Amino acid sequence: MEFRELLGRPGPILLDGGLGTMLQARGLTMGEHPELAALEHPDWLLDIHRAYVEAGSQILCANTFGANREKLARMETAPAGVIGPSIALAKQAAAGRALVALDLGPVGQLLEPTGSLDFEAAVDIFKEEVSLAVQAGADLVMVETMTDLQECRAALLAVKETCDLPVMVTMTYEERGRTFLGCDPASAALTLEGMGADAVGVNCSLGPREMAPLVRELINWTTLPIAIIPNAGLPDPGGAGYDITADEFAEAMADLTELGVKLYGGCCGTTPEYIAKLKAALSARTIREIPRRVPAAVCSGSCTVPIDRVRMIGERINPTGKKAMKEALRRGDVDYMLGQALAQTQAGADILDVNVGLPEIDEAAMMVRVVKALQGVTDAPLQLDSTVPEVLDRALRVYCGKAIVNSVNGDEESLETILPLVKKYGAAVVGLTLDRRGVPQSAEQRVEIARRILERALSYGIRREDVYIDCLTLTVSAEPEGAVQTLEAMAQVKAELGLKTVLGVSNISFGLPARPLVNQNFLTMALTRGLDLPILNPNAEPMMAAVRSYHLLMHVDQDAREFIAAYGNAPAPAVAVPAGAQPVQDLGQLVEAGLRGEAGPAARRLLETVPPMEVVDRVLIPALDRVGAAFEEGRVFLPQLIQAAGAAQAAFQVIREHMSGQPGQSDSKGTVVLATVKGDVHDIGKNIVKVLLENYGYTVADLGKDVDPAAVAQAVRTHRAPLVGLSALMTTTLKSMEETVALLHQEGLPCKTVVGGAVLTAEYARSIGADFYARDAKETVDVARQVIGESSPDTVS
Amino acid sequence: MPISVTQLNIDEALRYMGCPPEKADPATRELAEHCAAELLPVLRPRWAYRVFQISQERAGVRLDCGLLLPGDDLKAHLEGCTQAVLFCATLGAGTDALIRRTECLDMSRALALDCCASAAVEGVCDQIEGELSGKFPGCFFPFRYSPGYGDLPVSLQNQLLDLLDAPRRVGLTASSSHILLPRKSVTAVLGVSRRELPSRVRSCLSCPARENCQYRKSGGHCGIS
Repeated sequence: MEFRELLGRPGPILLDGGLGTMLQARGLTMGEHPELAALEHPDWLLDIHRAYVEAGSQILCANTFGANREKLARMETAPAGVIGPSIALAKQAAAGRALVALDLGPVGQLLEPTGSLDFEAAVDIFKEEVSLAVQAGADLVMVETMTDLQECRAALLAVKETCDLPVMVTMTYEERGRTFLGCDPASAALTLEGMGADAVGVNCSLGPREMAPLVRELINWTTLPIAIIPNAGLPDPGGAGYDITADEFAEAMADLTELGVKLYGGCCGTTPEYIAKLKAALSARTIREIPRRVPAAVCSGSCTVPIDRVRMIGERINPTGKKAMKEALRRGDVDYMLGQALAQTQAGADILDVNVGLPEIDEAAMMVRVVKALQGVTDAPLQLDSTVPEVLDRALRVYCGKAIVNSVNGDEESLETILPLVKKYGAAVVGLTLDRRGVPQSAEQRVEIARRILERALSYGIRREDVYIDCLTLTVSAEPEGAVQTLEAMAQVKAELGLKTVLGVSNISFGLPARPLVNQNFLTMALTRGLDLPILNPNAEPMMAAVRSYHLLMHVDQDAREFIAAYGNAPAPAVAVPAGAQPVQDLGQLVEAGLRGEAGPAARRLLETVPPMEVVDRVLIPALDRVGAAFEEGRVFLPQLIQAAGAAQAAFQVIREHMSGQPGQSDSKGTVVLATVKGDVHDIGKNIVKVLLENYGYTVADLGKDVDPAAVAQAVRTHRAPLVGLSALMTTTLKSMEETVALLHQEGLPCKTVVGGAVLTAEYARSIGADFYARDAKETVDVARQVIGESSPDTVS
Repeated sequence: MPISVTQLNIDEALRYMGCPPEKADPATRELAEHCAAELLPVLRPRWAYRVFQISQERAGVRLDCGLLLPGDDLKAHLEGCTQAVLFCATLGAGTDALIRRTECLDMSRALALDCCASAAVEGVCDQIEGELSGKFPGCFFPFRYSPGYGDLPVSLQNQLLDLLDAPRRVGLTASSSHILLPRKSVTAVLGVSRRELPSRVRSCLSCPARENCQYRKSGGHCGIS
């Protein structure tokens, strides 16, 4: 009988119990590798599997938990030598009485952003295991003991792209209801069901008594069968064992039938006795059928946002009409986008729209970079915004969670290229009510397109709850009837199709005076007609005020708590803050004092009378120099140095804005390429160097951490950079630094190198052929001055 | 025995920030204190340990599970010890995420958070040592010793973590270049002796970074490998 058939039958499915602890009980010593048991102790393994079949297990996990190439390399072997024999032993023991699963455990290295393992590398590692399991005749795949949802996704994709075996995914949670990496059951369930798992659940780390709250959460967010595979109680930190008996285990597990759990098994510390008693306990119970309905929701890897009230989508990460964003995209300044993201979430955005489309950049590559970077700093779910299927495909692949795809439209070509991607990666999708002929005038025609999009989405297996309709805002100054039709179409989509609605509101006022006024009122009108997901600028207070007021008046904001929290202690938002109230202070002093908030306005005042480069050369740089000298003399310390740099940065921002649009005026003294070398992930020192360099007027091409030598060479060519700064913190990664310097020399690139990091010495820097060693961030600036000089060269674009 | 951290050693954090505590201006001290307060609720300290019988060999110290901890420095350090406790500790991935997020907003806060986290992981290790020494009444302990100290190679990290089943039990891993992840983590060997040991202080003398060390410059030590 196949796994999916088994799932369809009434009654519980019994899995097996612990394997590692059983091997230890048979005599596996602590220094031995359990992964190799099929080769070194096949008899033990066969006995253990057989004992589980005798106890009633309907599914056996083969001994492949750690059989990935990364772990096995440490034992000087490879998956090809381990997976086949492990599955063969389980099949031999099963003898047709149980199914055999490939057990896919974590790779053992953390993926980006916490770790350095690349997502695609993880997919590849899992694919090798899955292919071998298919050859060996496995019946299903169990992805288990995962703590990182992204790693689950990699494993699940690997299975889906290799074979059509069923797959069950379980994660391991702590008592507070999150995994070590912060994933919660809701985000896991939404994401994994979306991507096509056959069952989801919990294994390891806790005992059966701690399972009920996790199950209650899971059943709110998935309709899939639930698998529960706990340890034999809670572990002793010294590894002495687990704290509950087989009888206690069986009773606690049997109680989970009340919550509708379908698959029951045991993890560490459980034995065939536990499984036999579990079988007996379950035979006395009936699984309670609890109707489940999963609401519309999106999530990141650690935060689920149900669309059960107005949810704001931040629109700021989009180059359209935003000069600073365009420039940031051109110079590859991802940090700028991260700053925009955090500013929006702090202002109250629930979801962030991400659009990086500019004709002159590689949109797909930039999208992947930005999505990965955003996931490192924000929990907010993302709305991936592009018209190019390849861009969406690559973004969805690396996005951890359930994203929104923005967008598909009623045009056939759009429907058949975008909807399969939405289905594959389990996203939600925005349907624009337009097609090849453009945006229809009337509300009825727009609803017709919405209906067509919905039908096609359903035909691809996309849930109705995951289709959001955008009835499109037209500029009211050009289309006087536009707002009326949009609002009417939205109300109909809501009433007739029952779908969630999304709308970009700011366009309504284009070309009009008092735009904030028009935007705010249009937003309020749209909310009352059923808008769920306004796309707006959350930093615009009138928009936030409209949403907060709506929630207050519609009794969504219980006891007016949110409204009072926002406005209870503040002046009403409409009252303008008096400008120019603070005393005028010297910009240089502000920089020295590290007063970031005041340095920008001071620079603006100074620019009224002084040319920009003079502000830089006569005020900012000397002020930074004074701080730098005090730092060298031990009168001020690193935090103050960075604060001064931060204040200078605020001033530079103002100067840059002032100068953009003035041709021939470059505020950059030249480009420095910075990277933390391959294999190293400690990059805070490099980031401090970046802040300082930027504030001395250098442009920094920051390649991030764990950077391949070839990428450094490429960046030097692209930016024609005269100086490269490399950092390494670990003795083990100094080798990469040496390789990077060697590659730059080998390619004959006309750049100097400066190296730094905790374990470096001047002597070592010389020995690897670096031109300079910098002890700290300040010395790196000194090197840049020596190499590039002070004046603004015109060779640098 | 869950470990909890309720306060941080601000002087230690200031030292890591490159700022001798006695010379710190009020604003810098306040920065460190604010960051400590922001960090405390994010910390999820977790640990695991295992006790081994040890024997001295020519090439290093052998654990009774078979693993050799190579080199002369640890061997000298554990002289007189018959057992060793291998332990690991981590503050969890949330700490890394907070620092990463703050780096986008304010580098000086990020530095202070990073340094507070380093102080926190040391505080956790101190607590663990206290907990462990309680398990060996009447015994003596040289200071804890980590891969990267002296000639004990950091390439041992993966094997040490495997012995502790650390990825599964506490969510601690090492990258292919032997960097512990989450970053604010420690693995260490704590020797156990039945006889009193000659007093040994933690010393920078055998550290390859001593000539350029920022911590030493500010009158402290790094505390971690």
